[in-house]
Amino acid sequence: MDDPVLRRRFHAHAHDEARHAALFRARGLALRSQFPGDERDVITAEWLAPGERGLDDLRVEDEDAASLLAFIHLSESAAARDFGQYREVLDNDPLTRAVFDRILRDEEFHMHYSLAELERAAPGRAKYLLWKARIRRLWKAYMRLATALAGLMAGIVLTLQYYLLLPPFALLAKHAARREPRGWTIIGSAERATRNGQY
Amino acid sequence: MRILGISAHYHDSAAALLVDGLPVAAVQEERLSRRKNDAAFPLAAIEWCLEQAGLDPDDLDCVVFYERPGLKFDRILTTLLRSFPHSRRAYAKAMKNMLGEKLWVKGIISSQLGVPSRKILFTEHHQSHAAAAFIAAPCERAAILTADGVGEWATLTVGEGMKRSDGSVAIKLLRELRFPHSLGLFYSTFTAYLGFAINEGEYKVMGLAAYGMPNRVDDVRKLISRTEDRAFALDLSYFDFHGSVESSYSRRFTELFGPPRSPYEPIDLGTFEGRRFADIAASAQRVLEDILVDLAGDLQRETGLTDLCLGGGVALNGVANARVLRESGFDRIFVPPAPGDAGCALGAALYADRLHFGQPHRAVPDHPFWGPKVDPSKLARLAGEDGLSNEVMEDDHGLDMLAGELADGRIIGWMDGALEFGPRALGNRSILAAPHDAAMRDRLNRDIKYREEFRPFAPVVARENADRFFILPPGGERLARFMSGVFPIRPEWRERLAAVTHVDGTARVQILDEEMAPRLRNLIEAYGRRTGVPVLLNTSFNLAGEPIVNGAAEGYSTFRRSGIDILVAANICVRKRHRAHQVQLEDVA
Repeated sequence: MDDPVLRRRFHAHAHDEARHAALFRARGLALRSQFPGDERDVITAEWLAPGERGLDDLRVEDEDAASLLAFIHLSESAAARDFGQYREVLDNDPLTRAVFDRILRDEEFHMHYSLAELERAAPGRAKYLLWKARIRRLWKAYMRLATALAGLMAGIVLTLQYYLLLPPFALLAKHAARREPRGWTIIGSAERATRNGQY
Repeated sequence: MRILGISAHYHDSAAALLVDGLPVAAVQEERLSRRKNDAAFPLAAIEWCLEQAGLDPDDLDCVVFYERPGLKFDRILTTLLRSFPHSRRAYAKAMKNMLGEKLWVKGIISSQLGVPSRKILFTEHHQSHAAAAFIAAPCERAAILTADGVGEWATLTVGEGMKRSDGSVAIKLLRELRFPHSLGLFYSTFTAYLGFAINEGEYKVMGLAAYGMPNRVDDVRKLISRTEDRAFALDLSYFDFHGSVESSYSRRFTELFGPPRSPYEPIDLGTFEGRRFADIAASAQRVLEDILVDLAGDLQRETGLTDLCLGGGVALNGVANARVLRESGFDRIFVPPAPGDAGCALGAALYADRLHFGQPHRAVPDHPFWGPKVDPSKLARLAGEDGLSNEVMEDDHGLDMLAGELADGRIIGWMDGALEFGPRALGNRSILAAPHDAAMRDRLNRDIKYREEFRPFAPVVARENADRFFILPPGGERLARFMSGVFPIRPEWRERLAAVTHVDGTARVQILDEEMAPRLRNLIEAYGRRTGVPVLLNTSFNLAGEPIVNGAAEGYSTFRRSGIDILVAANICVRKRHRAHQVQLEDVA
């Protein structure tokens, strides 16, 4: 980041995010010890969440400052809206509510500073860049949905294949496994040449 | 010849470029993408390597991939068939994974680089490990042992290598152990059971083992038995990695060892549970060592050679390496600075050059510094823009001043020259501190590295002083060159080296040659003149969950986000003004 003011602001922002992660982690561990559950991963619909989702497929180094700021502004706005809603439904859990309260203040600040910096970095183009960022977010949301659907379809096809096509080959493989000797396998010299093929 | 080596798609992708038989550039993708253990196709690493040599992809004579994806697919499919019908979920996941990308490596390389497919070669995974270990080692003839989780089918190979006087090189792998019987996966299963990430947390198991008693060895031996031909075999009823995506160990495993550790709970060694986990770690470590010592001993007797080259991820286990050196009969052990899969990029390129194309051998420079160089002027600019003073250091005076700061308890972020290739910080991207006080270790863990308290820090010492502080067996110096061995600290020094002395009195020491990192060596010397103890604490320059820093910008960012007091990039030194720094951040926020 060539602009030193922006760099310092991003640095402060990163500090806030690290603090939020620590707050979430501490509260999550406390809740977890109160309500021990299943250790296994459960299926989550994380890809549906609007908030700050998408940072993981944003290549920050490829973005110019203005488009990055537009992205941050929209993400922080969405996060502030979501966290506000979470806070509203947490009347019966004041400690978790306090965590969201604290983080919400930061998110609102992030939302404001990113807009102010966007107007400074790209005077007169802020609205255009925000709309461009909105369309990109929409495209990414579609891509996530499409990927999830493709994964689902592939899962169904592969499961059918597994049960319908594989059983005879599985029998053969198990039979061959039983005949495999234990221990060392001697390496023949001919089979080890560097080759142009993948096999 | 210009040969590009690539490793990718499983963990820790990398690229390495060989020109006329010698490496000119090698870097892990994670150091450029800033994603820890980045397994993606290493396009950024490739581009950097080519740029470093001033080459275009068209100029390459050959691109070598470090394993054979087709053979790997064969192993995965066969394993899933053998686990039928238990492997349904694993099948869907593996097929999506392989058919989605990993099987089509030739097409990916060809399309990404624009290289014709006839120029693309494939070595076998353990051939790449063997070449990285043997061809780069400064020895003429050596036994070779490679061990990791799994490559295509092989999980462990033994053989020998020879560099002849006519320049030709031979690597003959004699025999192999095949999946699922794997020392690497055996250890990784315990890593997962103990709540650490596989392919990342194995060194935590090694660190934790020192806190425990190996009183579960008999139980661990139920999982892994010796075969009649002195190899070993896993009892698969205790494992699940071959047919499941959820877990590496089976219900029978947890019936034997008890409930696994939750990755979210800290290990408290003061509790029964904490000690139970430490004992299990110690027992798994002991069994791994016993087997490695036996295998290496057999290989020594069979070949009659005095040098051993170790490759593969298992060679990162410094405690085991040191025991192999003491007990197997080899005089010297060579472990490359990048023995894991990243190092296979260089290994594959070396293999193709020396064995496929028959190019005459040229001694590979014996250091790990093949990555991007740090630009000190960039640090000066960044710090200046943020209102931090930076000073240009005259070498002798500057190092003396830094030694004084270290002696006063300051922590230094140290960047000098080219980035290391491999997982260890070996003197060019390090965090340095005084090694005397356990409080320093705790401060580093708390304020900078944010990591578990049971994990030790490593010392670095110049070669001529190593014997004064450490009990080194014959050959230990070589093993410590790239921090590949764990050795006892002399009892009389343990108290004065408390920050780098592990609970069992050992340390994973780096023994530094003057020519390898001359400025760091001079700094250690200057520190020794002030304190009487020419040893420094040396840990990798990164924060938890991040890759080691590459350029000045990342070093500066890490410096600003952590408790590091002073940042050095070559001859530029920047100090943190703690109070002013905080105020400035608050002003901005």
